[in-house]
Amino acid sequence: MSAYGTPGGPVVHDPVTLPADDNVNKYTFCVELKGGEWFLQKGKMIAYYGAIEFNGIGHGRLDRLVRTSFHSPLHASDWVVAAGSGKMLLADRAFDVNSYDLDDGNLTIRAGNLLAFQPSLALKQSIVPGFLTLIGTGKFVAASNGPVVFLEPPIRVDPQALVGWADCPSPCHHYDHGYLTGVMGGLRAMTGLGGASGEEHQFEFVGAGTVLLQSSETLMAERATGVVPPEPGVPGGGGAAPGGHGPQSSAAPRLPGQLGDLQRRFGL
Amino acid sequence: MTFREINTKMVEATVLPGQRLFSQRGAMLAYRGEVSFTPSVQGGQGGVMSMIGRRVAGEATPLMSVEGSGTVFFGHGGHHVHVINLTGDTLYVEADRLLAFEGTLRQGTMFMGSQGGVMGLVRGQVTGQGLFTTTLQGQGSVAVMAHGGVFEIPITPQRPVHVDPQAYVAHHGDVRNRLSTALGWRDMVGRGSGEAFQLELSGSGTVYVQASEEKL
Repeated sequence: MSAYGTPGGPVVHDPVTLPADDNVNKYTFCVELKGGEWFLQKGKMIAYYGAIEFNGIGHGRLDRLVRTSFHSPLHASDWVVAAGSGKMLLADRAFDVNSYDLDDGNLTIRAGNLLAFQPSLALKQSIVPGFLTLIGTGKFVAASNGPVVFLEPPIRVDPQALVGWADCPSPCHHYDHGYLTGVMGGLRAMTGLGGASGEEHQFEFVGAGTVLLQSSETLMAERATGVVPPEPGVPGGGGAAPGGHGPQSSAAPRLPGQLGDLQRRFGL
Repeated sequence: MTFREINTKMVEATVLPGQRLFSQRGAMLAYRGEVSFTPSVQGGQGGVMSMIGRRVAGEATPLMSVEGSGTVFFGHGGHHVHVINLTGDTLYVEADRLLAFEGTLRQGTMFMGSQGGVMGLVRGQVTGQGLFTTTLQGQGSVAVMAHGGVFEIPITPQRPVHVDPQAYVAHHGDVRNRLSTALGWRDMVGRGSGEAFQLELSGSGTVYVQASEEKL
């Protein structure tokens, strides 16, 4: 805090008073670079002091770095490498920003929520589509809508409220459609009367670990995470398995008032 | 206490067997234990007549009933959440601001015109409440959503409170409300202060105000 910041007025920062690798406020994070490098998502840097260079990934000079800590070549265009010395501020549309330390661990996070990470971490595409896994030791910065809440499994989480998970096995889908069974439930499923509760589908976590939850269901804009190569056996790869177990297409047009996807899910 | 505020945008609710909660559909973030979520056709309590009443009044927000045993986390749309405990008195709140409430509370619909006649209707239009508003009565707690943080202002007989209609969230207690206008010639020529209408609440009770003039 500087001397000319009037009491009660806005806090004025200069290069010396800015925190090093810490939050400036809830919505801004300050990274200190001392000749090192950071990976950051394009467009998340809002200001910087000092001599920092921002290079797109894919240039020859950064090849080695990308090879060792960036294992998702297909979405390299969304990321830049900041190198040099100085302090830079990261923020994303007034979402809450926080840094997390990984100590020889692994953490999977929704691709849109990850803002930046140290090259000592390795970034990999998770097998769950739309998620990225960070492995190793280091610091990363992530945004969330509202503060992040840490919970322990067993827990079932609304897909939109999930930010990520650490150390526990990948989640599985949980479908809950108790109210669609029985006579009244059948009637309900047939006519669409009464609507859906919106909570028929959750991600279920079991085992030891931590689940990161954001406190609202507004999602950040989806970030392209690249596509996986179309090979048989790769989920989401689009490689149709022999035998026709590819994505099913619903041929019949949907009637108004029907529950849509739910019915197909529950086999109604 | 059923609802516990975890942070400004999230509440944790304990569900016990035999106790029912109502919540807005799709507002569940996570849960532990065996909990079932059933869309409530009637949109709350009170049987079919109440349902028709709510439908007619436009206060039929899609609700679901939450039953079972476990813990449920609620939050919705990044809105701030505020927990209000009721001890026998009536809370007046717009139905779409209800995030979750206990099944022990009695839900009703009130015609704005029944408080102040035609001016009550005008008031409903200005505050965005429409012609009807929802009432919750009894013992229990309610989680209410608002845009921006919520603060409560006590209303005492000597001190009526003036609230910007757009920032009004809810009120409870023995409160009369009235729309006070401060229209002058400046408003007519388009040079008004933008604060021509205010909600004047008098009596004894509490009014909840959000720190924003944005609707949900």
